[in-house]
Amino acid sequence: MGAVSTASPTRLEMAVDPGVLPDITPEDVTLADTPWVTIVWNDPVNLMSYVTFVFTTYFGYSRKKAEKLMMEVHEEGKSVVSTGSREEMERDVQAMHEYGLWATLQKAE
Amino acid sequence: MGEFVRHRRSNKVIATFTVLEADLLRSLAAQLVELLHNERAIAPTGEDPLEALLDFSGPTTEPEDPVLQRLFPTAYRQDPEAAGEFRRFTEGGLRDSKARAAETVIDVLEEAGLPGEPTDPDLVIDVELDRSTALTWMRAFTDLRLALGVRLGVEEGDQDYWDALPEEDPRAQAHHLFEWLGYLQETLVEAVG
Repeated sequence: MGAVSTASPTRLEMAVDPGVLPDITPEDVTLADTPWVTIVWNDPVNLMSYVTFVFTTYFGYSRKKAEKLMMEVHEEGKSVVSTGSREEMERDVQAMHEYGLWATLQKAE
Repeated sequence: MGEFVRHRRSNKVIATFTVLEADLLRSLAAQLVELLHNERAIAPTGEDPLEALLDFSGPTTEPEDPVLQRLFPTAYRQDPEAAGEFRRFTEGGLRDSKARAAETVIDVLEEAGLPGEPTDPDLVIDVELDRSTALTWMRAFTDLRLALGVRLGVEEGDQDYWDALPEEDPRAQAHHLFEWLGYLQETLVEAVG
């Protein structure tokens, strides 16, 4: 299965001559892009037990955390279930679709 | 009969179906496979006809069938271009994976003795699933329930509506099937734990 990569990778491997380092402060340097989130939306078909099962099985979350996220989906209509790079979130969304959950990704608010 | 339990000693998940139940499951799974292959994932057509011919990647637009729309949701709600790219890289693989899961259900039932044309109504089919196969069945049951749910227009909190339908209404019968799959799924999740 082809991995989706549309965001540009953070380049850490560039050789840098210390003599030509630009005048920057640590505040200017961000290695991570704005985080992205995976959102699972409520649907009238999937069972609560199954959604909890998917969260524990795929994300490795504790039963308690998985149940909390599942209840958020159920009662509030959606829940942020994971956070990370865009590529990671695309992987998570793809996995959720494979499990039959309705998932989307977006930049963290 | 017709529910999943965990067999303590082997740690496998087991269920016994009547031949009628097993035949019904096979027929639903076969329909899902057909649907997944039926409306072909259409590759994008570019400006250049040669380029279009040589582009074997997946589709970038939503499937037309509402069931397929639900099985392959749009991943970016506010970015159609990113959504198209995501679909192009994922939908083909997801279609194959979902079809394989449904085929696994069929294969297991047939290996457990479900004949091509069942004639003996008293035949029972014992299935025994290891954890990985049980997860595959769970995904297949989910897709079958999503497909039936979309076709029926199932909504949150609509139980009274379905209960009020006359028994002879085909939609009531299809909804019974939907509920039966839900019951199977519930016992399967419980048994896998």
